[in-house]
Amino acid sequence: MIGKPSLSQNFSAAVAETRLRLINISRYPGQLVMEIIIPIIFASMPMLLGRATAGDSASANFAANTGTSNYVAFLLIGSNVFTLVSNAFWHIAHWLRFEQETGTLESIYLTPTPSIVIASGVAFYSIMRGLISASLAYLIGCLVFQVNPLQGDVLLAMLFIFFGLLPLYGMAMLFGATVLKVKESNALIQLMQWGISFLMGIFYPITVLPPLVRVVSYLFPPTWMINGVRSSLLGVGFFFGQWYFDMAVLWAFMLAAPLFGYWVFTRVESNVKRNEGMGEF
Amino acid sequence: MQGHVIINKLSKTYHTKHRKGLFKSEEKLVEALKNISLEIKPGEIFGLLGPNGAGKTTLIKCLTTLLLPTSGEATINGFRLTKDDNAIRASTGCMLMGERGLYWKLTGRENLVFFGALYHLSSKDRVTRANQIIERLHLGDIADRAVESYSSGQRMKLAFAKALINDAPLLILDEPTNTLDVPSARELRAVVRELNAEGKTVIYTTHIMSEAETLCNRVAIVDRGEVLALGTVDELKASMGKEEVIRIEGVISSKAASAVELLVGVKRSASAAVNGHQQLTVVVDDQRLLLPRLIESLTTHNAIIQKITPEEMTLEDVFIARTGRTLAEDTRVK
Repeated sequence: MIGKPSLSQNFSAAVAETRLRLINISRYPGQLVMEIIIPIIFASMPMLLGRATAGDSASANFAANTGTSNYVAFLLIGSNVFTLVSNAFWHIAHWLRFEQETGTLESIYLTPTPSIVIASGVAFYSIMRGLISASLAYLIGCLVFQVNPLQGDVLLAMLFIFFGLLPLYGMAMLFGATVLKVKESNALIQLMQWGISFLMGIFYPITVLPPLVRVVSYLFPPTWMINGVRSSLLGVGFFFGQWYFDMAVLWAFMLAAPLFGYWVFTRVESNVKRNEGMGEF
Repeated sequence: MQGHVIINKLSKTYHTKHRKGLFKSEEKLVEALKNISLEIKPGEIFGLLGPNGAGKTTLIKCLTTLLLPTSGEATINGFRLTKDDNAIRASTGCMLMGERGLYWKLTGRENLVFFGALYHLSSKDRVTRANQIIERLHLGDIADRAVESYSSGQRMKLAFAKALINDAPLLILDEPTNTLDVPSARELRAVVRELNAEGKTVIYTTHIMSEAETLCNRVAIVDRGEVLALGTVDELKASMGKEEVIRIEGVISSKAASAVELLVGVKRSASAAVNGHQQLTVVVDDQRLLLPRLIESLTTHNAIIQKITPEEMTLEDVFIARTGRTLAEDTRVK
């Protein structure tokens, strides 16, 4: 059938893209295992540093500055949200670059499936993979360090993650557009993921950041996502006092970031087609 | 109309950056296509013949919507380029980039089924179609192996199979026999003929003139972004009038080759390295008259002649006569 693809055809194509990614990663099982272990190791380092420097009063000192004495869960939440952020950037931006290099990007662009549908399939895969590995890493980390992983309002925490992921992938799309044009995926992704991780406070509340830097950090959806999850589970305190105000900010991001990301991506895409072409790397 | 391609004054200009040291670069404009106009009729095998860098792939990329042309227009399968790109993609089967463009961690079958989904075939149809193609191209033995374990030729075959997944009325094949061994290339050309007999229009780019001669109904000779000649193989040969060709193999210095050019009766000559030898192709008015003088000129200039054959005019000779170069030359703008 020739013409504009229907919604169900596009949905089927997005599912096929997700399936392709899942088949592909199933052939690298070691990578999946490492994705669960790394956030635990990542959180363990500041945790052990805290214990080494503050000794028995580590929890009390931490509670005085953050609003929770459960620094283990605080840090594990930080490292696992970092995994989600990192996945979003690597899976979208690096996906584009990798496909460009292997020639599969041109193959995809030869088909009538719009690029946004393919990107949705990749994002869905990335979200699935990120959520599964982050949840497992959080649960295993809590078990290893003997803290309760399911304290507080778990459902609300999940909502913060869900509504935080959509603008995050919008940002990743925007970033993917940059990679498509600049073609320096690794350096850019490294810079972006560590920059945002610093700003969103993976190991500390952003209140400890200098005032100007703090203002910048409020501009990134992951900052609201990580604080929303910590506040829901550990009661560290929402930025606007009530969960629904913070959630409203995430909703605003959710509407703006994907649209802006898509808008920039389509413009870069047409610029690339006008010049060197999608497959040029 | 299905399988009908009309190209009207299509041009493509690239902006390229030329490095001038670590931090400096200079922008240059490269005219890859210059006002190309062609009509490819439904049901024909149309060859685009030219050396590397002639603009064949750029033209194909424009027609398959991968590149936006700078100016001009085209209608493909009745759909207007840049206006109905989705419909063009849906109604065209493409093989570009040779063995690239496949997912190496997936099996051949998984690749075909995946691309079937991107062409919006139903779950059932994409499996059925993949099975049909696997059978037709005799890929059964390797279809369930990861593509990374394939030989280069097997990957080319799978890339060709991918172009057939949407059963499109128009097939665009860019150098499909590259890296294939002789029997596999012959087999692929036979399938192309079968597909054409079933009603598919085929655009076939190649720099191998024998392929174009044996396969194509009509051929366009492309060089430096322009169509130099267009017609059936016989028409193109006939367009050379009384011209004939002498091919000489051996050790031929550039000085000796230049001296040949100056002989009366020599229209044009071009040299290329073929199988470790220098091959000089000379387009002449009359082979019999010129042969003794040609040998004399070459030997005077210390050339070692290993083989000298007066030959029938081929498409490559037509190309040489028009451009003064061989198809083996890379004419990409550096």
